[in-house]
Amino acid sequence: MSQAYKPRVPRKFVGGYRPKIDGPDKASGRALYADDMTIKSRFPDMLYAKILRSPYPNARIRKFDLSKAEALPGVVSIMTYEDPEFKSLKLTNAGWTDCVDTVSWDRMMFQFRDRRVLGEYACWVGDEMGIAVAAETEEIADEALGLIDIDWETSPFVLDPLEAMKKGAPLVHPDIQETNVLAPDPTGGPDVFEDRGDVEEDFKRAEFVVEGESVFHNATQGSMDNWCCLMQWKADQLTVWSNHYAADQLRMHIKEMLGLPLHKIRAIASYVGGQFGRGDTGDQPFFLVTSLLAMRTGRPVKYRHTRHQSFLNTRQPAIYTFKAGAKRDGTITSLHFKSIGNVGAYADLSMFALKFVPKELAEVFMAHIPNLRMESYGVYTNVIPGCMMRGVGNSQFNLVFAHVMDAVAERLGMDPIDLCIKNFAHEWEKLPSESLVAVLNEGAERLGWKDKRHLPGKGRAYDGVKRRGVGFSCHPSWHAEWQEKRRGKVQVNLTLNPDCTVLLNAATIEVGGGSNTCNVLGCAEALGFLGIGVEDIHWTSITDTNDGIKDCVQTDSAVSFLQAEVMIDSAKELKLRLREAGAEILNVKASDIDIVEGEVIVASRPDLRMTVKQMLHKGDNAPITVAKSRSPDVALTGVPFFANFAEVEVDTSTGKVDVLRLVVVNDCGTVMYASGAESQQIGGQCMGMGEALTEEIIYDKATGIPLNFNWVDYTIPTMADMPDIDPVLLEVWKGTGEYGACGIGEGTVSCTPGAILNAIYNAIGVRVNDIPIKPEKILKALGKD
Amino acid sequence: MPNKENGVTRGVREPAVAGSDQPREIRIRVNGSWRSFRLESDLSPATTLSYVLREKLGFTGLKVSCDEGACGACTVIQDGKAVLSCMVLAVEADGRDVTTIEGLPADDPVVQAFAEQSEPGYGTAMQCGYCTPGFVMTARALLNDNPSPTLSEIKDALAGNICRCGCYAGIAQAVLRASAKIAAGRSAS
Repeated sequence: MSQAYKPRVPRKFVGGYRPKIDGPDKASGRALYADDMTIKSRFPDMLYAKILRSPYPNARIRKFDLSKAEALPGVVSIMTYEDPEFKSLKLTNAGWTDCVDTVSWDRMMFQFRDRRVLGEYACWVGDEMGIAVAAETEEIADEALGLIDIDWETSPFVLDPLEAMKKGAPLVHPDIQETNVLAPDPTGGPDVFEDRGDVEEDFKRAEFVVEGESVFHNATQGSMDNWCCLMQWKADQLTVWSNHYAADQLRMHIKEMLGLPLHKIRAIASYVGGQFGRGDTGDQPFFLVTSLLAMRTGRPVKYRHTRHQSFLNTRQPAIYTFKAGAKRDGTITSLHFKSIGNVGAYADLSMFALKFVPKELAEVFMAHIPNLRMESYGVYTNVIPGCMMRGVGNSQFNLVFAHVMDAVAERLGMDPIDLCIKNFAHEWEKLPSESLVAVLNEGAERLGWKDKRHLPGKGRAYDGVKRRGVGFSCHPSWHAEWQEKRRGKVQVNLTLNPDCTVLLNAATIEVGGGSNTCNVLGCAEALGFLGIGVEDIHWTSITDTNDGIKDCVQTDSAVSFLQAEVMIDSAKELKLRLREAGAEILNVKASDIDIVEGEVIVASRPDLRMTVKQMLHKGDNAPITVAKSRSPDVALTGVPFFANFAEVEVDTSTGKVDVLRLVVVNDCGTVMYASGAESQQIGGQCMGMGEALTEEIIYDKATGIPLNFNWVDYTIPTMADMPDIDPVLLEVWKGTGEYGACGIGEGTVSCTPGAILNAIYNAIGVRVNDIPIKPEKILKALGKD
Repeated sequence: MPNKENGVTRGVREPAVAGSDQPREIRIRVNGSWRSFRLESDLSPATTLSYVLREKLGFTGLKVSCDEGACGACTVIQDGKAVLSCMVLAVEADGRDVTTIEGLPADDPVVQAFAEQSEPGYGTAMQCGYCTPGFVMTARALLNDNPSPTLSEIKDALAGNICRCGCYAGIAQAVLRASAKIAAGRSAS
């Protein structure tokens, strides 16, 4: 069992080990998700929508005949790309923002407007396109789609990004681009987006030069809560129930695309069954298709993906190559990274992963490398589009980083831990980084690094054919408060009832990260002067744009502290308002009143001492509401680090890799909720291990058809697959504010593949740099294929 | 599993009751109450038990995620055994006793143990919670059969359920705790 972490500042509520506040609802099945709120018995006149999905990777509808489908009993409406409602829509993409800010169409973060809403052409097998049906049941809607006669015009297609870059390759978007390579964009910057010093000169002078490649394939988010929305058009008001995770953004997208005013759009969400970065900030075209079907039919229309259809986007696969120059003493003097990303059918947020994130890493991780060159090329292909996924960009980059530092350390004969400490830190600190030293040393000790590590492939054999090895990787976190500037104002409304209970409206859609528990703990902590407990605070899972505040979007676990920081201000104002109320009720000066642990103390009148509740009951019993908002503090504090250590056992006769143990160490700044943070650390290993060893979308190369859009053939680790995991929480770095915390939940996946790859190398002495590492790759590397 | 009592086999369309134009009626005992349905409107011999439980009866605790028996989110207990309700036809459940998570008592030790899970080193037993009712019902069926499972037996029994948030360590601890609660309850009584 792991040791409990020791808080830097002991607090009554924030930071402890305790059950989740939504545990009872979730464990009993009472928690309602979007699919549960939109069942047939609640909306008896509901219709079901289905959207045509392309059977071809590169195709266009020449013409179609709806007559048989329209004649099917139970079919209520069929809409197509020829309808004016769709013809008039602007081009869009599914990646307007990096998920946290609400933007208008003209201000989308990456302006690759390459998607039509229900357009007549498709760019991958599974593309939602062309024709949509609303029917009395899902089965009828599906059957109707099958009855539509479609005359397809199919074109050659390309699946591989290197092939797609060649001259004469089939074009994925011939009407937009004459090449499949994405043009540089204002946010991502030029192809060479970082060019510090002179890498070429340094490679000539360097005492050692090491080169290599790492390939990251296309894992998918795999949230269990299939995408779902119900659109109701009633009295010129569009109401949306959905498992999106950004209500305010969804409302804005609908406004921008359909031209409805904001007060006529109401977006409601409740618990969401996992998020992991999937692009449901509302910019997926199916929200609009379902809206238009509801407006056309005047009946509520529900659209829900099947599990197969929920494979709608992935992490951006990328091929990374690197070249590193170093001195004999372990100083890395130059690094050159080049990546070619397979963005798939639509660009969406690919350049976030390929350029935006690595550019930031240049300052928060590689600030002390004097010569640094980074270049990236995003390439359209006819496969499922890449999008946000937990650890966006960081996971891909960390895979190559783990490779670089392991390979350079080996060439120099150094321990890679020492190499990392000697070279990596953020721009605002001197080497070595206190946080990086702490996470690496702690991880090494927990795993038994020094005892277990041996020269690559030189450890002893187990059962004759099995070899063990250890590896690690490390990375900077990326959700310190200063990095949250794009969010704009973080808003919290807080109401004190006259019986001293509290209604907390810290709007955020609870996707599982535990920020609801953090918010309640933060609220209880901030309102310490009221002497209340967690049970005195009401929190709701429902986020409703008609509440009039913007929901703070769950990316990483940043919401765990952003709203709690605002509550510090809320508490100050509430105390002030209570003293004013007390002055009126008790007929004394407000400045004479103090409130301590729920007691009202009047300095000049000790006889007036009473509880806050008693005092408020003497007044008008009106609730006191405080609405506070705050822009994130952008003081540059740098970031804390995290590290993952892995021990593996490789069966050299079968190629099977067993992960024996994982240690995950996060410097959190401040731990807001220890059980939740450890849950994130442990859970992240599951996703990271899946990406490292098993998870990959496989295509039939002859047809472009994806073969494993299901959970039998796309293998997510289960309980039987997972090893013992040691979650370690540290508080070394500190950001701004009362807590100065940093998100950790997203990053916990990012170092796992690199740590496992390095451990495999340590075990067998042959490097496999292409994840997922399935047994055949190990056997091939060992020359046994 | 075919329902021998009623002679229904999966995938075979049942004729209407002989000599009658009435659609066939099926009866399922759900959480202790018999519920009857006619196979008409949106119900047919191809309708799954999960659809009837969720859409017709409002037992939304179970979730339909994969709808093909690969994830365990729709697990309910039928005649004492954990079954995947997306893989059971409503007609197969005719005459059966079905318990959904809503049918567990409020103080069920498995529900309590999942809700309480929080000690250092294992995290919580759920994050997003979407898979949780399926895990709870699978665990409940396991503990009905084997009140004191080993960790290995727990892993074996729950390996058919997917938790994408990856809270397997916390879930295993919760099942061990539930087992201890059951034992404590027995010794107290």
